[in-house]
Amino acid sequence: MDGGTSPFRAPVTALDGPDKVTGTAVYTFDISLPGMLHAKVLRSPHPHARIRAIDTSRAAALPGVAAVVTGADAAALPDPYYGVAIRDQPVIALDKVRYVGDMVAAVAAIDEATAYRALMLIDVDYELLPAVTTIDDALADGAPILFDKPVGGAPTRVGDASVSLKEPRANVLYEFGYANGDAAAVLAASDHVFEDRFVFSRINHFHLEPHVNIARVTRDQIELWSCNQDPFVLRGDIARIFGRPANAIRIHTAFVGGGFGGKSFCKMEPLVVLLAMKAGRPVRLCLSMDESLLTLTKHAALLVLKTGVMADGRLTARQSEIYLDAGAYSDASVTTTIKTGYRITGPYRWDAVASRAYAVRTTMVPAGSFRGFGGTQASFASESQIDMIARRLGIDPYAFRRKNLLSRAEPFQPGDSPIDSDVPAVLEDVASRIGYFRRPALPAGVKRRGWGLAIGLKDGGGTGNHSLALVKVLTTGRVIVNAATVEIGQGATTALCRIAAEMLGLPLDWVRYGDIDTDHTPLNNGTHVSCATAVTGLAVERAAEDARRQILDFAAQRLGCAAAELVQEGWSVRRGNYAHPIEPLIRDYFGGAGTEFIGRGSVKIDFDPRAPMASPAMFWIPCWVGAEVEVDTETGKVEVTRLVAAADSGTSINALACRGQVEGAVLQAYGQSLFEELRFDGANPVNATPLSYRVPLASDLPTHFEGFVVEHGGPGPFGAKGIGEAGMLGVAAAIANAIDDAVGVRLTQIPFTPERVLTALDAKK
Amino acid sequence: MSEAVDIMLTVNGRSHHLRMPANRVVVDVLREDLLLTGCKIGCDQAVCGACTVLVEGMPMTACTTFAFELDGRAVTTIEGLAEGNDLHPVQRAFLEHGAFQCGFCTPGMILSVVALLGRHSDPDEALIRQWLGANICRCTGYQMIVEAVRAAARLVTA
Repeated sequence: MDGGTSPFRAPVTALDGPDKVTGTAVYTFDISLPGMLHAKVLRSPHPHARIRAIDTSRAAALPGVAAVVTGADAAALPDPYYGVAIRDQPVIALDKVRYVGDMVAAVAAIDEATAYRALMLIDVDYELLPAVTTIDDALADGAPILFDKPVGGAPTRVGDASVSLKEPRANVLYEFGYANGDAAAVLAASDHVFEDRFVFSRINHFHLEPHVNIARVTRDQIELWSCNQDPFVLRGDIARIFGRPANAIRIHTAFVGGGFGGKSFCKMEPLVVLLAMKAGRPVRLCLSMDESLLTLTKHAALLVLKTGVMADGRLTARQSEIYLDAGAYSDASVTTTIKTGYRITGPYRWDAVASRAYAVRTTMVPAGSFRGFGGTQASFASESQIDMIARRLGIDPYAFRRKNLLSRAEPFQPGDSPIDSDVPAVLEDVASRIGYFRRPALPAGVKRRGWGLAIGLKDGGGTGNHSLALVKVLTTGRVIVNAATVEIGQGATTALCRIAAEMLGLPLDWVRYGDIDTDHTPLNNGTHVSCATAVTGLAVERAAEDARRQILDFAAQRLGCAAAELVQEGWSVRRGNYAHPIEPLIRDYFGGAGTEFIGRGSVKIDFDPRAPMASPAMFWIPCWVGAEVEVDTETGKVEVTRLVAAADSGTSINALACRGQVEGAVLQAYGQSLFEELRFDGANPVNATPLSYRVPLASDLPTHFEGFVVEHGGPGPFGAKGIGEAGMLGVAAAIANAIDDAVGVRLTQIPFTPERVLTALDAKK
Repeated sequence: MSEAVDIMLTVNGRSHHLRMPANRVVVDVLREDLLLTGCKIGCDQAVCGACTVLVEGMPMTACTTFAFELDGRAVTTIEGLAEGNDLHPVQRAFLEHGAFQCGFCTPGMILSVVALLGRHSDPDEALIRQWLGANICRCTGYQMIVEAVRAAARLVTA
C-alpha cells in the first residue's frame, strides 16, 4: 500500500504546462473560422410565461444581421429537445419560457455588438404565468404546472432493489427509490430515532472560460468546435436533434477552460448549429459570464433524514426523503437524483435503508451535473446528522464514526462493490493533523474554537461506463495517445500519456495526447464522474499493451525468431546480448513513410441488476475532512483556521496533479460552505453577475490549508482510481460540525453566513 | 459608432500604430488586432483578472481599459514574458509547482505575480494571498500557486 513500488514516484511537469504558462494553449474561446459570424441570445425576463408572439422583423432588417432564430425554427427540427435520460429542454423556447434567463431568440451578425443591438429590436408578447420558486411551492396542491404533457426520454436503468420513475406526478421530473430490509421496523426497534432536516444551497460552476461554441454547417456535415466536456454525447444529441446520421456530425475539442460539470452534456450547442444553418456561415456563440450563471447550477436541495441508533451507539437504519430543485429543465437531474438518493447512507454499516429522492421542477435556473453529482448534497446531510447524533448521545463524534464505519472489503450495500480504501485509518490521520486528539479546554471567550470531522463518499467511474482508446507508435518510437477524455485542467493529458509511456517503456516526452475530433478519436462517455484515469486510463493501458505486442511480433518476424525471445528496451529490441534498433527494421521492411503500430484498448463495466445502481461501483471515492474553526459569538463570523482534506488516488499517476485536484475541489466546497451562493428574490436572480457572485479568492484561504493524497490501490491502470470529485465531499459537514463543537449550535443550512450563525446563537439563549 | 482615434502602442517591445474606434478596449486590440490570444476574457468586468496585462510593470485589466488610455505606453502580455525558449522564472515556478490546471487564468495570474515580485522581491504568505486576490482561479485552490510564487521569488533573487 501507499504505492512504494509505483513507477510514478518521480515528479513530472504537466505535458500541457509549457503551452499554458506561455499563453500558446488554444481554447475553443480562441478559435476563429473564416467568415465567422457572432451570435447573441435574447433571454426571458419572466420566470414563467407563454409566448404569444415574437416579432423579429426589425432585428432581421438591421444591417449586419445574418440570421434570427426563434422557437418557430426549432419546432421544425426532427426532435427539438435535449436532456440526460429525460429530454424536456427545447433548443430554444418553443411556446413557453420557464425561468428568468430562458433562451427566447438568437441573432447571428457580423459582430457581437450588432447582434446585441438586434436583440433590442425583437418584440416578444408574453402571457405571464405564475412562478414556482421553491420545492414546497412546486409540490403544493394546485401548483402551476410547468409541463402540460409528458416529455420525451426514459428513466435511467437501475438495479432490482431500486425504483426509477419518470414524471411520477405533477412537477416531479423524476423519482428514485432504494430499499434494503425493513427500515420502518428496524427504526421502531431502535433505542433512539432522530429526524433532521437539511437545506442545501444553489451555486454556479463559475468556470473562467465561458460556454463557447462555433458551428459550421455544410450540405454533408455539421461541425462544432465546442467547449463541451462530452464530445461523443454531444455528437449523438446533434445527430438526433437534426435528424442526421452521426457520421455526418463532427465535434472538435480544444483545451477547456474549466467545467466542473457546467460544460457537461448538450446545452446551447444545437442553437448554434441552427443559427449556422440559417445564416449559411459559421457562427460563434460565446456566452457572457452573466449568461453562464443563468445556464446551469448545482441542485439546491432539501434532505430529511430519519436515523436509528442503539444506546451503545450502533447505527441501525436510515430513512431519507430528498428533494432536489431541478429548476426548469431536466439536464442531468436524473443522474444527480439517483446518486444523491443512493449515497445518503454514507460509509456506514446499516441493518436497513430506505431512500426516496425526487427531482422537482421549479421556474429556476436548470440544475445539472456539478463535480460530485449529488455527492456533496448527500455528504452534507449525512455527515452533519452523524455528528449531531453522536453529540446528542454524548459520544465523541470520532469514536461514533469509528464504531459504525464500513471496513475495507465490506460492500457499500448488498450487490454493490466493497469499500476499497482504509477509511478508518485516514480518518485518524486527518483528525490528528487538525489536532483533534489534543483539543485544549478553552475558556469561553467571545471567540470560540471548535473541531469537526466528516467523511464524504461517492462511487466513482460512472455506472456501466465504457471507453475506447488508441495508442499509435510511429516509426521513430514517438507515440500518439487518442482518447476522448477532454483536458479540462484535471491533468488527463499527462496521466494518460504517462500510462502509455510506462507500458511502452518509452520516455514521457516522446508521447503526445492527440487532439480530439470525433471523426478520428475513439469514443468514450464523456469527461466526468472521475473516470479519466481509471476508465479511459485502463483503455489506454490496454491499447499500449496491444501496440507493444504488435511491435514485438513485427520485430520477431524480421529477426526470424519468436516474440518471446525479445525484450523491448526503449526503441530497440534485445535478443540475448544483441540490441536491434526498431526504426531500421521498419524502414527496411516498409520503406516510404514507415509505419504505425496502432494498439486498441477498450473497457466496459458490465451492468448487473443485483447492484442497486445497475452496475457495481468501479471504485469508491472517499474524502476525509478535518476543520478547525474560530467562531466570533458577537459577529457570527466563522473563520476556518485549519482545513485538512485527504483523498485516495489508488495509485497517483501524477502526484502533484492529484493534490491539485483535492485542494481545488475542497476550496470550491469551502466557498459554498461559508459564503458562495446564487441568490434569488423570488424568481429573480439577485447576484447572477461576476461583480456580485462571490467565489473564493486566495485571500479567503483558510489560515492553514492542506490537501493530501493516500494510495490504497484501485481497479484502474497500475492500481489507480479517480480523484477529481473527492474534495467536494464532506467539507460543508466538517465545518458545520466544528461550529457545533465551538459554540454548541447546529447549522443545517449552507452557507454558514454570520447572519445564520448569530440567529442560531440567539435561538439558543 | 465611436469616433476613430490613432494611437501608438508598444506591445512586447514592438511598436504598433493603430487606428480604432475610441471605445475599443485593450483586450480586443490584443486578441483580435494583434492575435495575442494568451490574454483571456473571463468575466469581462474586471473581476476575475484573466485579462491581466502589464503596463510598464503594473498589472491592469485589459477588458475594461480603453486602448487610447495606453497611447504611447508599453504593454507586456504573456507572449512577451519568455526570452526565446527561456521561460521567465515565474513561468518556470508555475510549471514545476503545478500551479495551474485548466490554464485559463494562468496568463493573467503569472503576469500578476511578475508585478508582485517587481514591487516586493520577498513577499510573505499574507501579502501573496492578498495580491492574488485580484485573480480568480476556480481550479487549483490557490495553495500550489502560493507555493509557486514563493519559489519564483527565490528564483528571481538567486
